Amino acid sequence: MTDISKPIASGRMLLSDEMIQVFYRLLAAFLICAALTILTNSFFSLGNILNVLRQASLLFFIASGLTLVVLTGGLDLSIGANVAISACVAGTVIHQTGSPTLGVLTGIGVGGAVGMLNGVMVTALRIPSFIATYGMLWVLHGITYWYMGGETMHGFPAGFRQIGSGYFLGLPIPVYLLLVFLAIGTIFAQRTTWGQEIYAIGANPVAARLSGIPVARRLLLVYTVSGAMAGLASIIFLARLNSAEADIGESLTLPAIAAVLIGGTSLFGGLGTVFGTFVGALILTLVLNGMNLLSVNASWQPLVTGVIVILAVWLDMKTRRRAA
Amino acid sequence: MKKAYGALAALFLTTSLSSHAFADGETIAVFTKNQTNPYFQTVRVGSDVAAKAMKAKTLHYIPTKPDSIPEQLSQIEDVVVKKPSAIVFIPVDYKAMVPGVEKINDAKIPVVNVTDRSAGGKFVAFVGADDYSLGLETGRYLLKTLGGKGNFVIIEGVKGSLTNIDRVRGFNDALKENPGAKLLASQPGNYQRLQALQVMENLMQSNTQIDGVLAANDAMAIGAIEALDGANRKAQVIGVNGTKEAIDAIKAGKLLASGDYNGFMQGCLGMMIAIRSLRNEPVITEIVLKPTVIGKENYQPYDVPLESRTCPSWDEAAKLGTK
Repeated sequence: MTDISKPIASGRMLLSDEMIQVFYRLLAAFLICAALTILTNSFFSLGNILNVLRQASLLFFIASGLTLVVLTGGLDLSIGANVAISACVAGTVIHQTGSPTLGVLTGIGVGGAVGMLNGVMVTALRIPSFIATYGMLWVLHGITYWYMGGETMHGFPAGFRQIGSGYFLGLPIPVYLLLVFLAIGTIFAQRTTWGQEIYAIGANPVAARLSGIPVARRLLLVYTVSGAMAGLASIIFLARLNSAEADIGESLTLPAIAAVLIGGTSLFGGLGTVFGTFVGALILTLVLNGMNLLSVNASWQPLVTGVIVILAVWLDMKTRRRAA
Repeated sequence: MKKAYGALAALFLTTSLSSHAFADGETIAVFTKNQTNPYFQTVRVGSDVAAKAMKAKTLHYIPTKPDSIPEQLSQIEDVVVKKPSAIVFIPVDYKAMVPGVEKINDAKIPVVNVTDRSAGGKFVAFVGADDYSLGLETGRYLLKTLGGKGNFVIIEGVKGSLTNIDRVRGFNDALKENPGAKLLASQPGNYQRLQALQVMENLMQSNTQIDGVLAANDAMAIGAIEALDGANRKAQVIGVNGTKEAIDAIKAGKLLASGDYNGFMQGCLGMMIAIRSLRNEPVITEIVLKPTVIGKENYQPYDVPLESRTCPSWDEAAKLGTK
């Protein structure tokens, strides 16, 4: 009996440990901010801080859904390609109907449907998520390239574009969305039974099943949510960039995985938080912002990002071992 | 004589290309790098238009994974077996594809090199544009508009790619010609719209006055414009490639200019040379197109769908030859 009850409790028991992990990351983000404040005279301004938050939001939307998948011990490699196809289909709908609402629903719907297909492959067909979503990536690329035929779609209604570039009471709209989804994600993962079950599945899927958790249904849910979040990101992308093209997703997948890892979510499942992913996205964005402000040579920029990911995961393993 | 060739080609095709047994002209295989960059679409359409005018057929080979070296190599292996009449070839990598070109040479299929000059292998001809002079001329256009002075930023493409190295070198030289021009930063956007937008947003934080933006492709130029609009700031922006989106932005007065890489023309000329060499007509072995900067005053000819543009006549094309 003890074996079975353990994973259920683990989510809550780990909370304090997770808080320490998140605290380390906030500290790291704070140190980067402090360093940039000293090194540049343009970093510490309201304008730039809002700028960083707005840039981090797009990454966060993709990475937050992915966090749930990773918490169950899975991976979703199709998110970037999903953003691309959702953006292209939603863009077409807006162009054809002139209705932004319909476009938003389409983007999230297409993203969610793709995610659900991933979930079906993982649960019903029992294909490892890494492979199922990797295959999905190719399928989505194929469809999107064919659909767009090397063309770019651009020019969307001004009202729709407010979602990406508008302000409300001095704050960019994407930042409000960021706060809303950060709150929803955190409450869902930490405070609901379903959220706790997701942790339990990641910690020990066999024990989770034995303790009566509907594993397949929860997995289907997390893959669908991950897809829908990619769909939401595609809308923000469309509204901010005012255009859609077939290859927009390729440069999004790896940074999203990096944000999840830097945020302290373990690729083996069961450990991590949505809030950690937010801090991870923030750190990645801060580093790029800082390198631009400091005019770091273009060649060094990917290298710096890579080193930070490795360092973050290594420190994570170190501190967790000590905590255990 | 021409008829005999046509008959021969038809006979040849019936035996080797079963799916094109009905073909009455030559079949030309066209290799491009990817389906994502609009530039290659212009090359493909240019080659299709030229082939149609000369009553030949085209077969397109495009790696499903953009710019994939192994995939283009295996497509070459397929083509060597299928034996098209000739090949119009853009290597996904100018060095790594040399063994592939040698395979085509061994199979005795005539091949015309387009856009990126291959580091080796034998070609009927080379047709391309010069990224350096394109960067230089487009940069000069911007500097002339701004009276040769002001604060500038460069948004670079993929670091280490041939196109980026030469375009950025051209941008820098255009800036150096003007003592009043100050380069504030040169930062990477990797040819990606979103990255260029974010780089621009960041650079606007540290620089209160930016007068000109030199972006190594159109997608990044448009991304930078979105960033400027979002911050209610104004700067003159130039891009490279002459894409449809860029033409629309020039028309709307948002983009100052775009350097035309002339993909359509390259596709036309590559195809014309390939077919002419098969028909034993004289060809030109090297064409490096002079850069055209598309601005408000001359965008009209580009403001038509690709499919309805026309290739130059051979006499016009011959004047473009450099050798």
